[in-house]
Amino acid sequence: MTQMVEPSGPMPHRFSWARLGIYLVLGIAAFFFLIPLWVTLMTSFKTMAEIRFGNILAWPGHFTVAPWGKAWSSACTGLACTGIKIGFWNSVRILVPSVIISIFVGAITGYVIAFYKVPGARVGFSILLIGAFIPYQVFLYPLVRIFSSLGLYGTLPCIIIVHVMFGLPLMSLLFRNFYSALPIELFNAARVDGAGFVTIFRHVILPMSTPIIIVATILQVTGIWNDFILGLTFAGRDNWPMTVQLNNIVSSTTGEAAYNVNMAATILTAAVPLCVYLISGRWFVRGIAAGAVKG
Amino acid sequence: MKLMTSLIALAAAAAISTPVLAAEPLKAEVIHWWTSGGEAAAVKVFADAYNKAGGQWVDSAIAGGDAARAAGINRIVGGNPPTMMQFNTGKQLDELVKNDFLANLDAAASAGNWKAVLPKAILNASMRNGHFYALPVNIHGQNWVFFNQKAFAEAGITAPKTWEDVLADGPKLKAKGIIPLAHGGQKWQDKILFDAVLAGDGGAALFRKVYSPDAQAAIADPKFKQVAETFKKLRGLMDEGMPGRNWNDATAMVITGKAGMQVMGDWAKGEFLAAHQTAGKEYGCAVIGSGYIMGGDVFVFPKLKSAEGTAAQALLEKVMFSPETQIAFNMKKGSVPVRTDVEATGMDSCAQQGMTALKDPERQLPSVSYLISPDEDGALQDVVTQYLNTPAETSSEFVSKFAAAVKASG
Amino acid sequence: MSDSILQQPQQGVERPGSRWRARLRTQWPAAIALLPAALILLVVYIGTMVWTLRLSFTSSKMLPVMDFVGWNQYFRLFNTERFIISIDNIWVFGVLFIPGALVCGFMLAVFIDQRVRAEGLLRTIFLYPYALSFIVTGLVWQWFLNPTLGLQKVIHDLGFPHFQFDWIVQPTRVVYTLVIAGIWQASGLVMAILLAGLRGIDAELWKATKIDAIPAWRVYFSIILPMLSPMIATASVLLAVSVAKLYDLVVAMTNGGPGLSSEVPAKFVMDNFFERSNVGLGSAAASVLLVSVIVILSPWIYSQYFRRQGGRK
Repeated sequence: MTQMVEPSGPMPHRFSWARLGIYLVLGIAAFFFLIPLWVTLMTSFKTMAEIRFGNILAWPGHFTVAPWGKAWSSACTGLACTGIKIGFWNSVRILVPSVIISIFVGAITGYVIAFYKVPGARVGFSILLIGAFIPYQVFLYPLVRIFSSLGLYGTLPCIIIVHVMFGLPLMSLLFRNFYSALPIELFNAARVDGAGFVTIFRHVILPMSTPIIIVATILQVTGIWNDFILGLTFAGRDNWPMTVQLNNIVSSTTGEAAYNVNMAATILTAAVPLCVYLISGRWFVRGIAAGAVKG
Repeated sequence: MKLMTSLIALAAAAAISTPVLAAEPLKAEVIHWWTSGGEAAAVKVFADAYNKAGGQWVDSAIAGGDAARAAGINRIVGGNPPTMMQFNTGKQLDELVKNDFLANLDAAASAGNWKAVLPKAILNASMRNGHFYALPVNIHGQNWVFFNQKAFAEAGITAPKTWEDVLADGPKLKAKGIIPLAHGGQKWQDKILFDAVLAGDGGAALFRKVYSPDAQAAIADPKFKQVAETFKKLRGLMDEGMPGRNWNDATAMVITGKAGMQVMGDWAKGEFLAAHQTAGKEYGCAVIGSGYIMGGDVFVFPKLKSAEGTAAQALLEKVMFSPETQIAFNMKKGSVPVRTDVEATGMDSCAQQGMTALKDPERQLPSVSYLISPDEDGALQDVVTQYLNTPAETSSEFVSKFAAAVKASG
Repeated sequence: MSDSILQQPQQGVERPGSRWRARLRTQWPAAIALLPAALILLVVYIGTMVWTLRLSFTSSKMLPVMDFVGWNQYFRLFNTERFIISIDNIWVFGVLFIPGALVCGFMLAVFIDQRVRAEGLLRTIFLYPYALSFIVTGLVWQWFLNPTLGLQKVIHDLGFPHFQFDWIVQPTRVVYTLVIAGIWQASGLVMAILLAGLRGIDAELWKATKIDAIPAWRVYFSIILPMLSPMIATASVLLAVSVAKLYDLVVAMTNGGPGLSSEVPAKFVMDNFFERSNVGLGSAAASVLLVSVIVILSPWIYSQYFRRQGGRK
């Protein structure tokens, strides 16, 4: 743990029944949360014969890592039997710009809506929020038309723009709500000091946004990394993300289903978001806002 | 052989009267939904044959018919169509034809003599207004009963011939602690089972009529109600874990002997094969009644602007329909060739039963997707699945709901 | 926000005379910054909403056509048993799932915020369900809940033959299994959002409550919870969105079954748009969904973003 991590709960005593209770609750919760992961992992190490006879919770009688190798590098996803690894870099190339741009646009939008009065902004924001409730699939056909008339259809910029578009409602909501909980005095004081729009954003608002940027990153990394339908539709064949391969392995209707390979492929595909969760912990800190108020 | 294939390539190039000599391989991008092991191996037959004939197969596999079709249609609408895409016949094909999105295949059809060798039902499904718009590549039987030989022997029963037999065999299997009927309770599987009962219990004529413009009369027929009752009785042969189960999990129950039989399309053989079981030895197969329900896969060819694209399409049509490719492909796919003029040797006992059925036009029943719109098919699936899973719903309620669904979506 | 610690003098920022000039100066950059959002809003969201409404009055099948068939699609929609069941289910699901995930997420956030060891690991454990594609984890849940494969069988094998847990195959209970899996998947995210909120709270607050010897649970309920309300609003919207869009979970776990008993509206829309090539009926269902969302959300949006915002300045 770094020095910066400073959770806010009441100061702990060395030992107390309350502490024990806390760990007990967290332990039990963790146990329940882990059951499906356990089943997934165990299945991925079993042979298909064993899965057919199936006690799903049991430890593999015949431990094998072959499904993992197959999922990564030799499972067939159509004609190419190269596993899910071929889409990995495509996913990264889609992920990085999409996450950065969508968070930036969301933060700016949230900042303006929280602190400024622009005519029509609140009505627009409300419509945007409602828009978040429409299933993606409804958008596909009109968007295909729009992008092909722009000559962008099926390219990397196309899929990035699409992710920014669909990220906008929730990103701006996230930032607006976070900013509206910040002490307004900060903003007003900066304005009195003569700071402009950009200066306030860069030097006052952004430094206080770390926790919410982390949440936004978790949301967007997970959403964009796991996206299948948008990538399939808008990215073009050469940029297909990893989830297209995952889907090809997992959801074939009439072909035989290799559950062990499916499970391994799922965990492998989730590796990037999982790493982001683990690493993001360092920035789940408190005290920045407080420090800024004083300074 | 080499000479043959280069001749085909030449012929294809000549067919569109552009003097392209196959110096540059003809690139063909193909969208299809055959992604898993056995299916992928089957696609490879097509790809290899095409590459050998001087083309270059560019594979765009997308799992799931819905996703693949949507992607293909988006590509067509977006002005960047693939060379060839897997599709369905039925009303969806109508729309593509009506909007002038598809190339017609008459040249390849007359050169390959499609009219003479295709089963009539499939032939009709591939044509619109007297022109060919779809290339059928295989036939999947959809009303097979697969059963575990050992379980049947234990219960002292043999392959069922009627649905009455199935209902009578149920208790005998149960007495041995075996689940009589392994079923996956998903809409499309419920519908497969229902159609199998409709064809076997109601008869081929009733089946044809129910999925025709004259449906209401057929639904009012007392025989249809009787089919509904037989279907509902089958619920008693299933286990409590049935809802939501995948078809291959149900197949696994037959493989391991936990269950006696399953009603499924012949793609289920892939699962038996993967478990090292052979038809006629560990497991048996039967079609109940005379009607043999045939589904299958077809490809369509979007209209392309470039001459290379059109040449590639002509070559694909030729190569994929050739007898050698047909046999090799269908061996891998577990289906039977769409051509009635190829020999059924080297096929397992189930496939040979299927081929025999195909030779008799009286036994040919096109699968539902050839006959009605996906909209209607879906609406009927909803009615069927609700009936099977609602103990209180009576057969007359079901019949009237079925009639209403046909009316609303027909 | 009426807690004493954050209460600070509220005046002296905008002197009456300078008010208009300050406004004018700051408005332009702000308006320009909103341009991308406005463009997306107009072209994508409003455009699509209008387009969907328009399509719902057409006979479109696989490809959109621009004819006009009046309310036909709506008549058919409300005569479709499956759609009615879908609407019922989404209510039950939403009413149980949103509060359930909020409570679980809040509890997890509070407990994790007690300077526990291995915080990063625990946080990842609670968040991981959110990272895994539900196409496969849904299958795991299906197995786990299936009476012949999962929990019930395991407990039977342990020698308790009367244990019964077969909700997933009971038409009247299956929707609760969706709630369980939904909460499992979503509460980690709620936890992360609320944790971000908790970490944004002033450290001084805790010192003050310590001095006043207020019990911790009262601090959480009477002081922290109200302070977290914007974050809770965020989490609620996210959860509500996932209710309206509920699809993957159902497809992977029950596929709508047994029978039609776990069908949901988004699945109805999707199936009609794609599998059933029935864009007209799908659009009608999407429009009904859209109008319901507007009706349900408007009072809330009004109170959240119009009244309070107005009161702030």
